[in-house]
Amino acid sequence: MESAQELGDEALVALCQQGQGQCFEVLVRRYMEKAFHIAYDFTRNKETAKDLSQDAFLRAYANIKRFDGRSSFYTWFYRIVVNLCLDHARRNGRVIWESLDQGTEESGTPRQLVDGQHQPDQEAIAGEANRRAAATLESMPNKQRTAFLLRNQEGLAIADIAKVMKTTEGTVRVYLHRAVAALRQSLVEFV
Amino acid sequence: MENRSAPLIGACKNYEEDLVLYYYGEIGASEGGAIERHLAQCSPCGKFVADLGHLLPQMAPKPELSQPFWDSYFRETVAKLDAQAERQNWWRRWLAPMNGWLVPAFGTMAVALLALVLVLEKGYLPSFTDTTSANIPAEVLVDSNQLEFFKSLDMLESLSTLEEQDGAKPERKTSREGDSQVA
Repeated sequence: MESAQELGDEALVALCQQGQGQCFEVLVRRYMEKAFHIAYDFTRNKETAKDLSQDAFLRAYANIKRFDGRSSFYTWFYRIVVNLCLDHARRNGRVIWESLDQGTEESGTPRQLVDGQHQPDQEAIAGEANRRAAATLESMPNKQRTAFLLRNQEGLAIADIAKVMKTTEGTVRVYLHRAVAALRQSLVEFV
Repeated sequence: MENRSAPLIGACKNYEEDLVLYYYGEIGASEGGAIERHLAQCSPCGKFVADLGHLLPQMAPKPELSQPFWDSYFRETVAKLDAQAERQNWWRRWLAPMNGWLVPAFGTMAVALLALVLVLEKGYLPSFTDTTSANIPAEVLVDSNQLEFFKSLDMLESLSTLEEQDGAKPERKTSREGDSQVA
């Protein structure tokens, strides 16, 4: 397995397609954090993000023989993750953006959109800013939100986002611009 | 941080999209130069980019998760993959010892069953050629008697027609004869 870790994605996929299923574990190790974070961006819930991202690995493995190499493995895989997240959002309706207000368990400190100084009024403003950002993201059309999250949160290049979303780079640029403009519009008073 | 109530001053409309791409570093060198020159002389656009630089990095922060979380995540995922592979393969393993003879056996059995069903079904189906009176309902028999009656009426009508024709023929003959005589 040591040598498998040095192989590229395409070589690992080829080995999986030849029946060496253990090579998929290297891909899991390689992409688990990205997959989890994408799912977390969409759901804002740690357990749900874990389930969805693990489900994406299961689907990718079940369909690995259908991967034809026309795109890179990670754009193919990210597409699976995003589709699962969008399906989940459709089934479950509103996203509970609990962590924006509650912070994370591990860090123990609340994460806020504005720089809080632990003063009650500023914390209230920060909470309001977070809620508004959450509401704006939630109210966005799925494609705008997907383009924004993949670029802003995951740092994917526009070309890769276009492949994940199966659209053109120009369309992704438009989605991204609209999403950013909407966020700035809703948050400008907290800047 | 300040909670402003000032109205939003937007960037220049024809630059706004490019400014978003510029912020994300998704713009070519030549276009990037043009944007930088514009930013140097346009304060609303400069403010727009500064707002993006302040807001966007803080949007929807990621949770900071510890290594044990990821180790557990990996183990769980691998266990789920194994369980999925197990589920996908159970029927193959079940059928594997029987692979040599199972397909021809099932094929023969299916053909035999089909033949049996066809034979039995043919036996039970009422034959359409069987028209013995015992098998014909009374209403249909009444109708068939009426049919015979009307057939005989037709025959009578045709007989009278024939008689009429027989009676008419000599007359026509005579008229033709008369015509020829005139000619």
